[in-house]
Amino acid sequence: MAKCIYNLYKKKYKKTIKPIITPIPMEAAFHRFLGQSVTEEDNCPAPTKIMAAPMVVGRNIRTFGRIFVGVSQSFLQGSIGLNACRYHGRSTLFRPLQLPAACLHTGTFSSSLPSSVIVTEEPDTLYQKVAVLVKGHDKAVLDSYEFFAILAAKELGVTLGKVFEPPRNIERLTLLKSVHIFKKHRVQYEMRTHYRCIELSRVTGSTAQVYLEYIQRNLPEGVAMEVTKTSMEKVPEHILEPMWNDPLTEEKPSQ
Amino acid sequence: MPASLSCQSVISVRNIVGTSIYNNSGTRTRYVTAACCKNRAARIRVGKGDRPLTYEQALHPHHIGHRKGWLSQHTSNLQGEGGASDRTVEEVFVRCFLFGTFHNCLANEIVIKRRGNMLAVCTLMLQKLPPQKLYFLIGYTETLLSHFYKCPVKLEVQTLEDKAVYKYL
Repeated sequence: MAKCIYNLYKKKYKKTIKPIITPIPMEAAFHRFLGQSVTEEDNCPAPTKIMAAPMVVGRNIRTFGRIFVGVSQSFLQGSIGLNACRYHGRSTLFRPLQLPAACLHTGTFSSSLPSSVIVTEEPDTLYQKVAVLVKGHDKAVLDSYEFFAILAAKELGVTLGKVFEPPRNIERLTLLKSVHIFKKHRVQYEMRTHYRCIELSRVTGSTAQVYLEYIQRNLPEGVAMEVTKTSMEKVPEHILEPMWNDPLTEEKPSQ
Repeated sequence: MPASLSCQSVISVRNIVGTSIYNNSGTRTRYVTAACCKNRAARIRVGKGDRPLTYEQALHPHHIGHRKGWLSQHTSNLQGEGGASDRTVEEVFVRCFLFGTFHNCLANEIVIKRRGNMLAVCTLMLQKLPPQKLYFLIGYTETLLSHFYKCPVKLEVQTLEDKAVYKYL
């Protein structure tokens, strides 16, 4: 089974980014993520007026966009509901999310033009396990994020594996308190890192991409995420049967 | 007494090194504290009672994580993450820049949050400037900082009439 690991917290300063942020139409984002090419008709007008927490545009959508929970949820809620009928065959049906009452709801999702989507015939990658490890300094923040991720997974119909808390890690430094002399007087600092691991089992590639994008857009500040995906691949045909069973192939190397 | 005499000869006259003698209880020896023993970081000493303090200033740094929050939130101090020095330098610059741009208008320390590529600077301002000037300064800060750091910078401002006083020291 192939294993691919990537870190999602890294900021990539690739090019000068315009200070005025243009929100990416949610449709286009979903199309890119589902591996389907976006045609020209997809440039639908910016659906919302959400300026309280603008979404960041970039080549790597994975590394961006940790914004207010409520805003993005409201934004995605509408788009998820709209895309449900379109991606019927490829990915799981999305039901609109039931949000907790205390979320900020700014901006309304206006219906965009129906966009033509190219459906490819290549099979979707299957993941046996997708492990999402979140790290943070504050345990309360991780608790609430875990609640949010589990709620999202339940609503989207993603099967959850185990959700556990790896032991925390404390890094301590003992430094001299003074700039000059005073060796006996020191100052101690510590940096605590708390972890939380959420495992999704038996998901398809597109489901995993969409779920991870949603999770990452709502990642709180000061929290980092590492995703480990364990994919399933078909066993190559030439090793399906042992060599000693087949007398024909043995004759060729002997010549 | 020989014991006390020997102690007094041991005590050095120099004030730098601090020692306290536990050998002789009952005799009066000199207790010299080093200048470095007390912690002075981020603390405002108790005074006459006329100095107003905000919540941030009133609590000492060992309360961070318990009664105080963090002023800058980024991921580079977590285990296995890098770039802490770069973030620190950026934040020092941002704080100085904002302190100078909004001179006398900041009610409290600036909170800097990093969400993905975006830098969100959350400030509490006093209502000293007319709104047009404030909006201009906000836009000016945002554009200038975005060009410096090549990432979108967003300023989230909340205004107050007066500084929120927690206690008087």
